[in-house]
Amino acid sequence: MRIRILHTEGFRIAAIFVAIFAVSAAALAITTLAVVDQELRSQIVQFANADIGSIKDGYRTQGEREALEIVGQRMASPGASDFFLLQKNGSERLAGNLPPMPAWTGTIEFPHPDAAGRSVLGVGTFLAPGLYAFAGSDLHATQMARRRILRTLFWIFAGALGLALLGGVIVSRSFLNRTDEIVTTCRAIMAGNLASRISVRGTEDELDRLSETINAMLDRIAALMSNLKQITNDIAHDLRTPVTHLRHRLERARDQSSKIEDYDLALETAIAASDDILALFSALLRIAQIEGGARRANFAPLDLSSLLTRLGDVFGPVAEDARHHLCLPPSDPIIIQGDRELLTQSFSNLIENAILHTPAGTIVTVSLAHRDREAVVTISDDGPGVPPDEIPKLFQRFYRLEASRTRPGYGLGLALVAAVAELHSARAVIATVSGGFSISLHFPVHQE
Amino acid sequence: MKILLIEDDPETAGHICHALRAHGHEVEESQDGSDGLASARRGQHAALIVDRMLPGLDGLSLVRQLRTEGCQTPVLFLTTMSGIDDRVAGLNAGGDDYLAKPFALAELVARINAITRRGEAGPPVLLRVGDLEMDLIGRIVHRDGKPIELQPQEFRLLEYMLRNAGRVITRSMLLENVWDLHFDPRTNIVETHMSRLRAKMDRGFAQELIHTIRGNGYILRAD
Repeated sequence: MRIRILHTEGFRIAAIFVAIFAVSAAALAITTLAVVDQELRSQIVQFANADIGSIKDGYRTQGEREALEIVGQRMASPGASDFFLLQKNGSERLAGNLPPMPAWTGTIEFPHPDAAGRSVLGVGTFLAPGLYAFAGSDLHATQMARRRILRTLFWIFAGALGLALLGGVIVSRSFLNRTDEIVTTCRAIMAGNLASRISVRGTEDELDRLSETINAMLDRIAALMSNLKQITNDIAHDLRTPVTHLRHRLERARDQSSKIEDYDLALETAIAASDDILALFSALLRIAQIEGGARRANFAPLDLSSLLTRLGDVFGPVAEDARHHLCLPPSDPIIIQGDRELLTQSFSNLIENAILHTPAGTIVTVSLAHRDREAVVTISDDGPGVPPDEIPKLFQRFYRLEASRTRPGYGLGLALVAAVAELHSARAVIATVSGGFSISLHFPVHQE
Repeated sequence: MKILLIEDDPETAGHICHALRAHGHEVEESQDGSDGLASARRGQHAALIVDRMLPGLDGLSLVRQLRTEGCQTPVLFLTTMSGIDDRVAGLNAGGDDYLAKPFALAELVARINAITRRGEAGPPVLLRVGDLEMDLIGRIVHRDGKPIELQPQEFRLLEYMLRNAGRVITRSMLLENVWDLHFDPRTNIVETHMSRLRAKMDRGFAQELIHTIRGNGYILRAD
């Protein structure tokens, strides 16, 4: 746990902030020290200048004795420099608490005569030729001040660093706990427990959003998997039936046929049955292909009105033979972008459904209208309709109404229509109004 | 007729050869693309049957190459891909017809017969079989001198049959070429339209011109 915390994003961010803080604190400390140092030194020099000024004044007005007097006074007074020297002819000390020294003039700094490692800062000048005066102070106080400031800064810095690290650990720890939970959940799902979901705290922070997104993704995957499972089951079940029938027929032919004609007939039906099975496969593949990708390579402008008129000519006689009536009210041309072949097949499926699944005498109407920037193709009939609870299932693969199970077909027609509609960004709307069934496909019309 | 078959699956090739030979065609076989291209360039073939998926050179490229070289031999594509765009791609590459596997051998033979006689002469103005005549300019049909009234759909159906007179025409050939439907419908579109056409041009005459070939399709002939 300890080591892992060091590798968390939270800790890394905390560490970066600590580093930035350390650099700025150091810069602050260096600047502060420089300023303080400068200030204290200039204060010493000011005192020294004031003292030297007094000594100079005394000497100018009343001579050497007065200068000696003033040095004596100044040495005893607290608000003045620490060290004084009044020397004559380079080596003779007249007054002061410093040993004789070289007669440097101006602001000077030299080692403390008694204490090693300390130094004295002050101002030296000649009162008269051969008469040298110096006033200055020990820099020790300045160094002490600098040390105090440094120590304070160090403690502040150490405290802040400690707090930052602690904060980093706490943040990382909570981050780590929550990511651990996500990891555990994902592992559980990988191990097969598809129902697990990551708990959401409701704080709406970034981890909550991540968790919600992962949960939504899991829901989608679960839905897809259940769909896939359903399809696999359906295929297995719906293919087994025709294959079983085929097998029964072949078995019966082998056991019961005595004449060549019997065998011929058995072979013919067997070939027809295998063709049906292959057709079923092709239909499934075709739907999968349309659903699988936006195969819009064959999209071209086409007039829905003329396409429907052509289908009306093709299916009119078919409907008539089935004692239905196919009615196609005339409509103005509406151009959409689409795949002619797929749309032809979809509309044909819908018209064939209306003819095949309704009783004789039913009127099937195919109409086209332009409503709200949409081209609406409606195929409706006045037949018995579809029970309302069955409607949502109509677009599923292999779904067949109870009443039509005995008729030929596999329940893939509407699944193909749904896939083709999706490809064309069209909405499919089913309605059962006043006894009858109606399905509308709403195609977007982009420009006039 | 000599037909070049370019197909890499030996079992399919065997079936096709057998069926074509049984119908009196001579068949030359090739098992990969580049080899097939060389054979196609060499020989005078009445038609080519080309599989889309071939080792060496794929079928589409092969036919495209032949077409750029000016070869006009009719081509029938075979494919296992039942894709939506495959048929269009095949026809764009210069193919004349397209058949998805699995197919009935009778279907293949019928389609080969249809494409090999295509374009033998210039577009005729008058189509005639026995005492049946179709004037393509005036769009009038006569049988035994009597005019026959046909709906546009029936006219197109009869025109296609007349153009392919004497040859077997399958249901799917009719669906594709007369009604432009490229799927297997669940209703009796072909039978319905065919029976209406027959009622108008065969009923009441001594001899029937349209014959049903059971399990295969139809044939228009006057014998």
